[in-house]
Amino acid sequence: MSRRPPALLCLALLAAAAAASAGAEPLIAIAIHGGAGVIEPSKMTPAKEASYRAGLAAALDAGYAVLERGGSSLDAVTAAVRTMEDDPQFNAGRGAVLNHEGDAELDAAIMDGRGPRAGAVAAVRHVKNPIELARLVMEKSPHVLLVAEGAEDFALEQGVVLVPRSYFRVPARERELEEERRAESARQKGTPTTRADGADGNSMGTVGAVALDRAGNLAAATSTGGLTNKRWGRVGDSPLIGAGTYANNRTCAVSGTGQGEYFIRQVIAYDVCALIEYRQLSLAQAAHEVIHGKLQRAGGEGGLIALDPAGDIAMDFNSVGMFRGARDSRGLREIGMYRETKGK
Amino acid sequence: MYAIAVHGGAGAVPRASLSAERERAYRAGLEAALDGGYAVLERGGSSLDAVAAAVRILEDDGAFNAGRGAALTRDGAAELDAAIMDGRQMRAGAVASVRHVKNPIELARRVMEKSRHVLLVGSGAEEFALEEQFTLVPNHYFRTAERIEQLEFERRGQRVSDLVPPAPQGTVGAVARDADGNLAAATSTGGLTNKRPGRVGDSPIVGAGTYAKNGVCAVSATGHGEYFIRAVAAHHVCAAVEYRGLTLQQAVHELLHDILRGLGGDGGLIAVNRDGQLVLEFSTEGMFRGARDARGLREIAIY
Repeated sequence: MSRRPPALLCLALLAAAAAASAGAEPLIAIAIHGGAGVIEPSKMTPAKEASYRAGLAAALDAGYAVLERGGSSLDAVTAAVRTMEDDPQFNAGRGAVLNHEGDAELDAAIMDGRGPRAGAVAAVRHVKNPIELARLVMEKSPHVLLVAEGAEDFALEQGVVLVPRSYFRVPARERELEEERRAESARQKGTPTTRADGADGNSMGTVGAVALDRAGNLAAATSTGGLTNKRWGRVGDSPLIGAGTYANNRTCAVSGTGQGEYFIRQVIAYDVCALIEYRQLSLAQAAHEVIHGKLQRAGGEGGLIALDPAGDIAMDFNSVGMFRGARDSRGLREIGMYRETKGK
Repeated sequence: MYAIAVHGGAGAVPRASLSAERERAYRAGLEAALDGGYAVLERGGSSLDAVAAAVRILEDDGAFNAGRGAALTRDGAAELDAAIMDGRQMRAGAVASVRHVKNPIELARRVMEKSRHVLLVGSGAEEFALEEQFTLVPNHYFRTAERIEQLEFERRGQRVSDLVPPAPQGTVGAVARDADGNLAAATSTGGLTNKRPGRVGDSPIVGAGTYAKNGVCAVSATGHGEYFIRAVAAHHVCAAVEYRGLTLQQAVHELLHDILRGLGGDGGLIAVNRDGQLVLEFSTEGMFRGARDARGLREIAIY
């Protein structure tokens, strides 16, 4: 023992101290996203970038603060998503993209890895914070998914104050809708094989969060306005359990963003967790396989954030970028937008 | 080897309360759907056409909880959900909360084939139907005297099954494998009697109540929808087969008896695997079901 070089002994002591402190204080962690494929780097100005980073940081820190004071992962993801719903630069809540009729039409889901239990709403037009209504569906109804007017009727029964549709509309989204409508009529002069409806819009920016609390519970939440110029009551993956949102304490919590139809067909969020449970892949491997394997092969684009019970975080995407952030009690705190993570 | 299975819902079906006459009617309906779907496979048609044909027959039959004869919401209206999935390219289409579409399964298929979307809901889905030249029907087309009576009993807080002849609470669905090995699944439902308007169950959710993937399996579920959603039930069965090498039978058994039971839910499902092997299983008292394949199997059962 006495011949052990001091440096090694020192390392061993440090490792022991780290292990002891990890044992005393369970890990807490949160990851968020503000959409994948949102904006081309070439179109990003420094001012815009700073503003997005500030929005992501506010959501990340709001969620982390809940965990830090001993709150639940469910409360943390709710807080993070609500912050982004209230921030008009993200495609959720106020500032959501506008549908064919010029209104925001919102979807959201939340899932508690305990249970597991879940709540979701789709195609609501007057609910300020759809994520809170999704949570009420989970906690105050026997159901999982409520849609459209029925969901708003439930909101009223629960004492949720509805807001006029104008609350959600911001000038930037009105311009996007105009551009998309022009692009659509240009496309329709060709000979479309399928009905064109603007699904190629540049606004795939859903918001979402996953978190792990001190009690070891995982939770996931996702909220979105969907696609610019969408029609016919189109619902994407965000409010569908297993597609855009999933959490199970045994395996992982996932929130997705991207071309929703691909996420639905591939049951993307649940598949990440199934690969961990059944194929014994690590979280990073499972996220990689789902995004760069299955989604890529199917021709879909997007990304996801995922978190496992050990506090490992994966944030993977095959789009140009994904607005994202991660923070944990080991000292990680980062905000990223494109391939390489910039800043801390 | 081609094969098809159909279901007409799972639930508490007390034998004593099901009269011989009603039982005959249910059996006849299941048989018509089973044979309708099978005939498509027999003449070389696709599994997609077969499941669509079988489900459409059950939607048109007033005895089952889908299309005409669907369960009514607490507002007294029929509100319908359906999904279809093609295991070939894993394409899917679904509609939820539609009130004026005679055959929701056909609209779900149109969503899959003519739009870039998977799920359309509410009046928006009906707008799409109109653009696709569907003729809408008034909501009273769906309402049968029996469902109106059932709703009355539910509203008074009485158990339906004790008071009126039981009707399947579930859903209808079909799974098939065609001679080319393609798998398909379809599910259609009116949901729960006395449900809150806007409530959507597992049927139109890909991965929950409906799923198909060539080379693995196709699944259509029925039962307590919220539990099937939380368990991502239909995809779970296929993931258990694909990732763990379980037999279809084992995967279905685990889902129904371990996972859903563990969550507190019950119901049933029908599934077919890559070889055309059919599994029809339930954790409830009964499930209205039928199975037929090219090897000569042909059976209809309730309990």
